[in-house]
Amino acid sequence: MFYRLSGVRHNSYASDSKMFNIPADRNATVFFLLLGLAAPFVIPSLYLNSYVLPWLIWTAAALGLNLVTGWAGQLHLGYAAVMAVGAYSAVHAAKFGVPWEFALLIGGLASSVIGSLFAFTALRVKGLYLALTTLAMQFVMDWVLTHSPAIAGGSHASLQAPTFALLGQKITSDAGLYYVAFGWCVLVTIFMLNLKRTGLGRALVAVREKDFAAAILGVNSFYYKVVAFAASAFIAGITGALLVATFYFLAAPEQFTVSVSIQVLAMVIIGGLGSIIGSYFGAALILLMPGVVNQIFGWLANMLGLELGIETFAHIPNAAYGALIIIFLMVEPLGLGKLYANIRDYLMIWPFDQLKK
Amino acid sequence: MGNEYNTMARLLMRNASEHGQDIAMREKDRGIWMEITWADYAEQVINCAAGFAAIGVSPGDAVMILGDNRVRLYAGMLSLTMLRAYAMPAYSGASLQELQHFLAEAKVVAALVEDQEQVDNVIELRETGSDIASIIYDEPRGLNEYETSGLMSWDALLEKGRENLAANPELRTQLIEGSGPEDPGVFLHSSGTTGKPKGIVLSQKNAIEGAHNGYAGGAFDYGDEMMAYLPMAWAGDYALTVGAAITYRITVNVPERQDTVLRDMREIAPSIYLAAPRSWDNLLTTIQVGIENSTPLKKWLYHFFMDRSIASQRRKLNGESDGAFDGLGRMIGEWLIFGPIKDQFGLTRVKHAFTGGEAIGEDTFVFYRGLGIQLRQLYGQTETCAFTAIQTADEVQLHTVGKPLPGVEVEIADDGEILVRSQSVFAGYYNNPEASAEALEDGWLRTGDAGYVEDDGHLVVLGRLSEVVYTANGERYVPNYVENRLKFSPYIKDAAVVGSGRDQLTAMVCVDSEAVGHWAEVNGVPYVSYADLSQRPEVAELLNEAFKRVNKALTDGLQLHRYVSLHKEFDPDDGEITRTRKLRRKVVEERYSKVIDALYDGSKDVHVSAVVTYETGEAGSVDRTLLVREV
Repeated sequence: MFYRLSGVRHNSYASDSKMFNIPADRNATVFFLLLGLAAPFVIPSLYLNSYVLPWLIWTAAALGLNLVTGWAGQLHLGYAAVMAVGAYSAVHAAKFGVPWEFALLIGGLASSVIGSLFAFTALRVKGLYLALTTLAMQFVMDWVLTHSPAIAGGSHASLQAPTFALLGQKITSDAGLYYVAFGWCVLVTIFMLNLKRTGLGRALVAVREKDFAAAILGVNSFYYKVVAFAASAFIAGITGALLVATFYFLAAPEQFTVSVSIQVLAMVIIGGLGSIIGSYFGAALILLMPGVVNQIFGWLANMLGLELGIETFAHIPNAAYGALIIIFLMVEPLGLGKLYANIRDYLMIWPFDQLKK
Repeated sequence: MGNEYNTMARLLMRNASEHGQDIAMREKDRGIWMEITWADYAEQVINCAAGFAAIGVSPGDAVMILGDNRVRLYAGMLSLTMLRAYAMPAYSGASLQELQHFLAEAKVVAALVEDQEQVDNVIELRETGSDIASIIYDEPRGLNEYETSGLMSWDALLEKGRENLAANPELRTQLIEGSGPEDPGVFLHSSGTTGKPKGIVLSQKNAIEGAHNGYAGGAFDYGDEMMAYLPMAWAGDYALTVGAAITYRITVNVPERQDTVLRDMREIAPSIYLAAPRSWDNLLTTIQVGIENSTPLKKWLYHFFMDRSIASQRRKLNGESDGAFDGLGRMIGEWLIFGPIKDQFGLTRVKHAFTGGEAIGEDTFVFYRGLGIQLRQLYGQTETCAFTAIQTADEVQLHTVGKPLPGVEVEIADDGEILVRSQSVFAGYYNNPEASAEALEDGWLRTGDAGYVEDDGHLVVLGRLSEVVYTANGERYVPNYVENRLKFSPYIKDAAVVGSGRDQLTAMVCVDSEAVGHWAEVNGVPYVSYADLSQRPEVAELLNEAFKRVNKALTDGLQLHRYVSLHKEFDPDDGEITRTRKLRRKVVEERYSKVIDALYDGSKDVHVSAVVTYETGEAGSVDRTLLVREV
């Protein structure tokens, strides 16, 4: 219905591999980009900074994990640990007086170095063994953070982040912080969109499908796995740093525990492996749905005049939220991104049901 | 238009110098549209002409053009006008006999062919005694090991041309200025529904004047986009893709292959679209089958908007005014249903949509108008370079083909035959003075069509003069008209209506193997072959529906009561239809005389053994018992 493809033609292969070949996709992207820019003027700042901003940052995190899990096909259970490395390195650097721009970079590079060092050893094993090894990394990092006062400031301490600033301008306003998160999320999205079109992206996909088949194609699977780990760790590091700088304002070990790793992985899986728009949906579902479900139940309880105990009230939404995830994955095991793609396909050939080519 | 631009060569050079960087043609190659500017195109044509001159093509010679639409074949056709030689396009599926008939007419010295398949055809022609000296091919695949004499690639021809141009500095000007408006533009053939195809040479003047007439009649504009997918040997294709495209700088898009036309159409989204009624019918069938397979909701939406839109179009064509909600329905329908359907087939940008070649079924015509495509009828003959009359966008009536184009005079002879006089009318059949004398009289062309001119100047074409027939009761009818109504049903591909001199009409129909086959699949009707499928009682039910619908629109004397579903489709290889899929009535009535007898003597079935020509050229026969159905 909305997708019109007539007149879309290519007179070179470069034009054939454009990012958005379909006008409707391009228009939708531009629309949402403008909406994102206009958000501070439209959305009340309470919602903006407690829902939209974390959503965007977690989306960037999910995209980073998607790179290694969705594209390169390597299960990663220690993603929060890598984010922690970035967050602590950046905060320490900023406290030391390094401008935030460079502090972020230092965070990203530190994550990248630790992540790929770790990958060198972890990638000697595959599949579930790799997953377990990455889980080990998560626990090692947890232990290091709680046991080294030099990094975390003590076992139950938290580290105050200096006020965020870019180009010497302190950013304290809600809109300013939002734009920082928005900018980073857009940047990561653009990177991921382009990744699909590069040789690197294709090599990663080859590795995902079967690493020794990729080797036969001349793709050095170990090398590309390490690249995937390093690149994803870089994104994780900066995202972790921004999470602290614009949302938490202080770094604490419990912000980067194993449950956080599992949550990001859940965002990726529910969103859809290898799907960019899916990462947005996945992050939204995991992050925002508990609150929404809570509110719906509160409202329902009010409507029906039910007297629910505090205990029950705390647990029902959780159960409903869990059920929701199961239902989504049962309807479409390939995630929300695939659900979106199905709807898109449906509209693409509207009003027909299938088209003979 | 000044006199200086009165030949193809001069027009081409004008385009090259004034709009050298604009796109003249696009051709799809491995998924990518390769663009050729007017400057490059003109250069290619000149090189090609010089190349042809180098291999000994001289004025008066003919070069056979064999293959599907290709940029290089078009360039070759143009270059031959520079040499005052005949470009003789033939249908790519033409049989050896048909080609031999062409060869016997003129001195064919070379063949410009598309690929290996056509090279093989020419080699076979040589073996049967023709002396085609050179074979130039476009697509080199599979031709490496060929050691045939005179075989060369397109590039080799151009290289020869370049050498020739370098050796003779005078040659370039000579090529561009050497030909005149009276020199040949193209050597076409009549469709031959009634006999052997006759050679028709259209001069450059015919083609260019035809294009001017078409432009004056609002058929196209400067800078339009069009698809070149029609057979190159059809006058409609020549008139548009060569005549009009060169004269009015229309960008011509050549699809990758014949079977990718639908997809390529969508990528191009042309602004001019000319198709034979057959193609419009096919597209209609595709749409109908597609909707039939869709979900109930979409089916309902489609019928809701489409039926209303068609009804409103009918009212409009009958001169009634729009209903209160017609405009609104069209608007929402356009967004929800019509637009997406048009988009699927690349018809969104069509400004000039034409049907031509034969009469189109009324229902098909109204369907497309209802879809929001300003479909218009184009009336013309090969002899007039396809442009005789045209409907204007806002003056469409069902029974007329519109007013004669500016520059075209139309008169009606005493016996009701339509006579045409125009600059685009040809000078006579090639080497056939008798036929020419029959067809031409003081510059007036006898079209062979019966018709009359209405008070408002609109021309009504009733059908072939020879085809207007009467039943025993004196009821006048045109079989083609009834057949087209039958063919509106997606399940009927071809139909032949008989009844001349009989007390009632009967029909022989060929079911559409794709649509009926699909229907059978969905509805669990088992069948083993086309012949089997055609006789299934369930299929007869489908056909009965179609006949009942047609009967509603026919007067009492012309009701169809009995029909036979034939066991094979009409095939140009069997001579039952022409390459442009026009019915060869005589052949059909002769071949199926037993069936026709059975239709009238009241028998329940009829045994036939039909001759089938296989693609290898062998002939076999099929024995079948066909059931005579009653509506």
